[in-house]
Amino acid sequence: MNGWIGTFLRIDLTTGKISTQPLDADLARDYIGARGLGTKFLFDEVDPTVDALSPANKLIFAPGPFTGTYAPSGGRYNVVTKGPLTGAIAAANSGGTWGPALKYAGFDAVIFEGKAPKPVYVWIKDQQVEIRDASHLWGKTVPETSDGIRAETDEDAHVACIGPAGENQVLFACIMNDLHRAAGRSGVGAVMGSKNLKAVAVIGTGAVTCANKDRFEQVVMKVRAIIQQHPIGGTGLRLYGTDVLTNVLNEIGAHPTKNFHDGYYPTADKIGGESLTAKVLQRPKGCFACIISCGRVSKVTNPKFKGQGEGPEYETAWGFGSSCLIDDLDAVTKANYICNEYGMDTITMGSTVACAMELYDIGAITKEDTGGIALEWGNAEAMVEMTRLTAIGVGFGKKLALGSYRLGELYGHPEFSMTVKKQEIPAYDPRAIQGIGLNYATVNCGAAHVRGYTIQPEVLGVPAKVDKDTIEGKPELVIKYQNLTAALDAAGACLFTTFGIGAEELAELLSAVTGVEYSTDDFMKCGDRIWNLERLWNLRAGLSAKDDMLPERLLKLPIKTGPSKGSVNRLPEMLPIYYERRGWDASGVPTDARLRELGLA
Amino acid sequence: MVVSYFGMLRDIAGRKEEDWEQPAATVGELLHRVVAEYGPQFGRWVLDNGDLLNLAIVLVNGRDVRGLQRLATPLKPTDNVTLFPPVAGG
Repeated sequence: MNGWIGTFLRIDLTTGKISTQPLDADLARDYIGARGLGTKFLFDEVDPTVDALSPANKLIFAPGPFTGTYAPSGGRYNVVTKGPLTGAIAAANSGGTWGPALKYAGFDAVIFEGKAPKPVYVWIKDQQVEIRDASHLWGKTVPETSDGIRAETDEDAHVACIGPAGENQVLFACIMNDLHRAAGRSGVGAVMGSKNLKAVAVIGTGAVTCANKDRFEQVVMKVRAIIQQHPIGGTGLRLYGTDVLTNVLNEIGAHPTKNFHDGYYPTADKIGGESLTAKVLQRPKGCFACIISCGRVSKVTNPKFKGQGEGPEYETAWGFGSSCLIDDLDAVTKANYICNEYGMDTITMGSTVACAMELYDIGAITKEDTGGIALEWGNAEAMVEMTRLTAIGVGFGKKLALGSYRLGELYGHPEFSMTVKKQEIPAYDPRAIQGIGLNYATVNCGAAHVRGYTIQPEVLGVPAKVDKDTIEGKPELVIKYQNLTAALDAAGACLFTTFGIGAEELAELLSAVTGVEYSTDDFMKCGDRIWNLERLWNLRAGLSAKDDMLPERLLKLPIKTGPSKGSVNRLPEMLPIYYERRGWDASGVPTDARLRELGLA
Repeated sequence: MVVSYFGMLRDIAGRKEEDWEQPAATVGELLHRVVAEYGPQFGRWVLDNGDLLNLAIVLVNGRDVRGLQRLATPLKPTDNVTLFPPVAGG
């Protein structure tokens, strides 16, 4: 095989059995890799009704065919499992260098099964795979764990690990790799913690072969040029990072504010990308084979929130910032550092603090609950402290560790949780941008922006501007972006390459590296297949059309101020059309005809 | 009217916003005057051979002119105009 290695690893943590298996060529062709392959493995091997944090769940790490090649920004991997936050399929995506290292060691995926009897880490050095004791690392932060493992394996080892949050099974714990990159959402880190698996360290000296080197090189050079000449992929993301979106979204009135009570935050500029660049940025940073460099190496010198690391991204600045009515960039950045060091998803953490602030505001929780902390809107110190308490599993942090839905439910107000499928909604207000609301409602892993990023056409005008306020054509647009992203994730590509290239170029790259000819339609059909398989798995897990729903606040409470004043999301009008266009019945169940068409019947 | 600058445009203009007092009846007139003020390095992020650069985000009172009349969008002295170069995130 080319692009694919042709072998995957299976590790039973209960018994300690380590085995390798050949990758089926038809399966690789149809599901590509990464998110697609992981979904297929999970579908075939895991009962969707299992407890996500039980040994019966499996944890699948999988890079894609691009991963480890010099396809531009194509170094990504996915972690697929049942998400404890959502009860749905989780597919968390990360960059850095860990995915390429796994390919160089000789594997297309690692499937972890069962539960180790005591804390362990797995050390993969090419074909030598060992399960090692990690008792001395349990309780350590991500930097401490990474340094410790490198010291006892290889100083160049690539480490993916959990921090204390994953050990404590915080329901939105991440898996961190390369210190600052996160397989972030749905609680994949809690699953890792439930298996007593502290880390997976890899070093590989092999290579990824390419079916047609000349053709691949030609396509790579072509798409590199397109991305680099594109004003966004080539310049904007490197200069300001993703947080430049704070002002864009705020100025159009689509920047969720005060736990989605509003869509406009008058002082948002203080936490936007321009301020970040001026105040805390040290340098831009890219992942493996990246030509974009959206990452932010940053440093805070303010003694109150001192630290250094990476971030914040747009979602993070929003979650700890505008959502909590906080415009202190140092505080926001500090909360980001805590999440990275302890391994937590910044979107869910920020949004959960915002939910807690709303509960505090109406008196549903008091200082007695918070340990004496005044959890008032805009209290930056309290926000950072709540993040810290969640990270270390102390006091009210134990409640916040449940995420906003369960927190709201616990105190009698689940409606304060801005979630879909119990996962927190990101930083684009669906009342002001209709298509992204439909996307949030229908994403299989729970609310996520990077599973169908209609913000590109609806706000940014990439590849062409679409009216953000209309619902006309939005079901079709959402489906197209969801299928494209599923295929792109499966290939191991970075979503940001689509600020330059599209399905046609991605299919060309995939054909050149694998030697399997994918037309643009074939590529998109793979995405469609992956999406439908995720859906089937969710339906068997007990989810249904009722879970394809936005919080009532976004359907009934109009935005109060700013350019989008008066808007609500019109999901109920879009959803039936979405189902129909997907080839699903009125209950959101894929029809037999549709499944046959996708080879899933 | 108030004109606000973001991203590279803020760096080039050297300011976050300003009261724009020269007459400008349309977005096109305004942009050409602003570009004349701040030079071609500014202009390359908002105009493309005299037309609106497709990826530039130009807002009038929060409304994207790509959904209005583009450069022909009329302006009033009380309008707020917001200028973003091509930027993105996720």
